[in-house]
Amino acid sequence: MSMRRVAVVGAGMTKFVRRSQETGRELSWEAVSKALESCEMSLDQMDCVVMGSAPDAFDGVHMKAEWLSDGAGAWGKPYMRGYVGGGTGVFAPAQGWYHIASGLFDTCLVVCEERMSPTQPHPQAAFNSIFDNFTERALGPNLLWIFALEMNAYMNRYGLKKEDIALVSVKNKRNAADHPASLLGDPNITVQDVLNSEVLAWPVQRLDVSPITDGAVALVLAAEPVARRVTPKPVWIEGVGWCLDTAYWTNRDLSYPTYVEEAARMAYKMAGIKEPRKEIHIAEPYDPFDYKELHHLEGLMLFGKGQAPEATARGVTQRTGDLPVCPSGGLLGVGNPIAAAGLMKIAELFWQLRGEAGKRQVPGDPRRGVAQAWGDLMQVGTVVVMGK
Amino acid sequence: MSLLNNLEHPTDARIWRGDLPVYHRYTAGVAGEKFLRALKDQGAVYGTRCPTCGYVYVPARLYCERDATHLDDSTWAPVGPAGALVSFSAVWVDLDGKRLDAPQWVGLVRLKGASSVLMHYLQTPTGALHAGMTVQAVLKPANERVGSITDIAYFKPL
Ligand SMILES: [Zn+2]
Repeated sequence: MSMRRVAVVGAGMTKFVRRSQETGRELSWEAVSKALESCEMSLDQMDCVVMGSAPDAFDGVHMKAEWLSDGAGAWGKPYMRGYVGGGTGVFAPAQGWYHIASGLFDTCLVVCEERMSPTQPHPQAAFNSIFDNFTERALGPNLLWIFALEMNAYMNRYGLKKEDIALVSVKNKRNAADHPASLLGDPNITVQDVLNSEVLAWPVQRLDVSPITDGAVALVLAAEPVARRVTPKPVWIEGVGWCLDTAYWTNRDLSYPTYVEEAARMAYKMAGIKEPRKEIHIAEPYDPFDYKELHHLEGLMLFGKGQAPEATARGVTQRTGDLPVCPSGGLLGVGNPIAAAGLMKIAELFWQLRGEAGKRQVPGDPRRGVAQAWGDLMQVGTVVVMGK
Repeated sequence: MSLLNNLEHPTDARIWRGDLPVYHRYTAGVAGEKFLRALKDQGAVYGTRCPTCGYVYVPARLYCERDATHLDDSTWAPVGPAGALVSFSAVWVDLDGKRLDAPQWVGLVRLKGASSVLMHYLQTPTGALHAGMTVQAVLKPANERVGSITDIAYFKPL
């Protein structure tokens, strides 16, 4: 297979907020402007555009990629939407990658947008129709049922306590205090705060969960010759992978995300990674819930099954630890505008690997990172490996 | 971003209300229809066993997602009514995020003979629940069954 090398050369994002006055199109435009400005390129230098956005129901606009297209800079260009639910933010850059790796285009603008605040009375209701019509919807489920049942299965399998898992939320919310775009950064939060927060569906409590958020993120991708002209510090997309498990979420192994492992294997193979724990220096796994970071670290094969909590307790995943995890602050801290949250992780790797992450900078000249997202009917894994 | 970039209340910015004025009529499908009729008329929970890979789907399905095999009438067999509890939760909020007065207990159950897992209500437990314990489907009386998954009232710990 002959594929061209593709680099990220620019990134930009809006602030992540609880409720933006800006429309989704305006948020998209703001992220695009910042991304173009960061690499001193203009919209007419973008050959094509990929838009990632999750359920239409959040914005309340059917076929919302078409609606968002003007803000995303798609006027007069080849344009497509990436949509694998929560996995979208890490899938959209993979789509951008193959637009260029294939030789079809030299540059690609990748934009991810989400506004959850329009959905009333609660965005959760927009998920009602993801449940199987005749086996589940009659029970009147909400999304928390899935996460509570999965978290409990994970805790039960490995004998974990709530305290073991709350450490993730504390780490990420503290990390996010150093992110200028964050919604929920908190330098002083403690495990006790998490344990004292409102029980939503046992074992899930309020501070185990990422917040409802509005925001947008954009990246500029370029083929090698263009990338080398544009910047002395291109960050290469070295591997991409994605995989789907059964759409019947109850039938998955709820204590181990096999589909993430499969997606990671695909990406690692492409990147030539044989020992991920040694060859990856930063991880940005998907953390809409604190237990999911642990779950996903294991699926990414960065820790053995059931061993991510213990590594977290030892400080391995702190920003100054041996394997910094979610140095951005993740979804738990920066916020969770679904598709935009995943692309924020790619932007974070871009800034970290260029040494441009400011107060969040991981020490020790990190050379390679992995980002991952999770979504669809809670059964898709999307993975991107980046290196300099 | 604008000064209003972190609005405290939805009405701080000029808004208008809108909805998507449609509703839907879903069918249970070929296998689903037969499954629900059996639940209503016989009080039995049916699965289908894939002759190619051996996976037993509950509720019964028309095809196997793993190998695309047609699961015809010969593959239908009743399962349960007892099964193993895979996971459970006490849910404290409703679909709109509003707090419930008392928790709603839900669980995942792998019925005896099934490979797949069913989500359903659990009877409010009097003792501690644990994964792997045996639970049993409690059906509504025949004259109250309508052909819905809720014809199983709940699962009770044994
Ligand atoms: Zn089969």
